[in-house]
Amino acid sequence: MVDGTPAELSDAALPVVLPVFEGPLDLLLHLIRKNQLSIYDIPIAQICDQYHGYLRAMQELDLEIAGEFLWMAAWLLQLKSKMLLPQPEEGEEDPRSELVERLLEYRRVKELASILYDSHVVRRCLWEPALGTHLGGEELELDWEDVDLRRLALTYLQVMERHAAAHPSPLTVLPLRFRVEDAMQHLYARVCESGLMPLLRHIHTRPDPEEVVVLVVATLELVRLGGVCAEQERQFAEIYLRPGRTRLDLESILRHGVEHG
Amino acid sequence: MDEASVKALVEAILVTSRGPVAVEAIVEAVSDPEITVEKVEQVLGGLKATWDEEQRGIRIEQVAGGWRCVTPPQLDPYLRSFHGIASRQRLSQAALEVLAIVAHHQPVTLPEVNFIRGANSAGVIRTLLDRQLLRLSGRKKVVGRPFYYRTSREFLIHFGLDSPEDLPDPEELVRDDAAAAAE
Repeated sequence: MVDGTPAELSDAALPVVLPVFEGPLDLLLHLIRKNQLSIYDIPIAQICDQYHGYLRAMQELDLEIAGEFLWMAAWLLQLKSKMLLPQPEEGEEDPRSELVERLLEYRRVKELASILYDSHVVRRCLWEPALGTHLGGEELELDWEDVDLRRLALTYLQVMERHAAAHPSPLTVLPLRFRVEDAMQHLYARVCESGLMPLLRHIHTRPDPEEVVVLVVATLELVRLGGVCAEQERQFAEIYLRPGRTRLDLESILRHGVEHG
Repeated sequence: MDEASVKALVEAILVTSRGPVAVEAIVEAVSDPEITVEKVEQVLGGLKATWDEEQRGIRIEQVAGGWRCVTPPQLDPYLRSFHGIASRQRLSQAALEVLAIVAHHQPVTLPEVNFIRGANSAGVIRTLLDRQLLRLSGRKKVVGRPFYYRTSREFLIHFGLDSPEDLPDPEELVRDDAAAAAE
C-alpha cells in the first residue's frame, strides 16, 4: 500500500483531521486495512456502518461530499440488505463479488502508483544538460512520438491567436440590403398610382427593421423634396401619404439619392 | 573510424542532444559499415560504466528507447541552490493513480479511468496532458467518441523506463497478498 503519501502521514500525525481519500474505493481500502479484514470476505454490515460514519464526519466538518461517495454509500446499503437475506443457494454468485473485483483492481492501481511515486522522487532530481539555442538557431524539432492531436490543436490555436494579433479585424461592412433610392421610387410610384397611401399599415407588413428604417427615411426624403405630403390627424394615428405639389421624375429622385446617400 | 573516435563522437552527440538519442541515429551519423548497432551499444555501455565509476557530474542512462546525459540525483540540492530553484516538481496521489491506470491499460478513455479509480479524473488528466506525461491517441469508436489516452515519451523519461512494457506487473506485486488471503 502507499504508505508515506501525504494522506497517510496526516492520518497518523493528526488523528483529529480526517484523512483525505482519492475516492470511495480508496476509503473502503483504508477501512479494510484499518480493521485488518480480508478483501475476499468483507463483513459488509460493519464496513457499511463505518463508511457512513465517515460520511457523517465529513458532513459535520461541512466538507463537500463528491457524488461518487454517495453512490458507493447507496451500493453498500444495498449489499448490506442483500447479505441479511438467507444465504444464497450453492452456485449462486456472492453479491459482494463485483465490489471485491473493483477493490482488487484499485489496489493494483495503488501499488503501481506507489512504484511510480518512488521512481518520481528520485528521478525528479535528475538534470539534463541545458543547451543554448546556438544549435543552428533553428526551432527545436519535435519527435513524431511527442506530437499528438492535442499538441496539434494547441499549436493551431496559438497560430490563429498570433494571426489575429497581427491582423486586427477591419471594420465589418455588411452588404446593403435596402436602398433608400429604391424605397423612394417604390413609395412614390404607389402614392401617385393610388393617390392616397397609408404609410403605417404598409410599414407593419415589413418584418425587417432595417427595411422599416429605410422606408421612413425614404418618406422623409420624398416629403422634403415636396413630391409627397404626409398627413396625420392625431398622435399615433395612421399617416396618409398623398402626391405633393411638385411632380418628381424618377431621374431626379435617383440623382438626389446618389447625391445625398 | 577507429574506436577512440567513435567513443569521442558518442560523447559529443550525447552532450549536445536534448532528450534520449537512439543508438540507430548514432550509427547513421557515423555511417561506417564497421560501426554497427552492437558496436555503438558496446561503446555506450563502456562509457556508462566509466562515468559511473569515476563519479562524474554527468552520467549516461538508457531511457525511452535511447541514451541521454543526466546528472546524478545526489547533486540535485546543490544544483537547485546554484540555479536558485526552490520548488520541486510535484505529482499528486491522484495524478500517480491516473498515470498507473493509463500505463497499465493503454489506450484507455476517461470513463474507463473514472470507473477504475471510482472518482472523476477529468481535471487530473488535463494537468497530465499539459505536463506532457500523457498524450491523446485517437478516439474510441463508441457512443460519445471519448479520447484515448496513452503515456508519452516524457512519461518514460520521467520514470526511467525504456518502454511502457518495463513497468512492473501489478498482478505480480499483489500475488503474495492474494495467496496469503486464500490460505
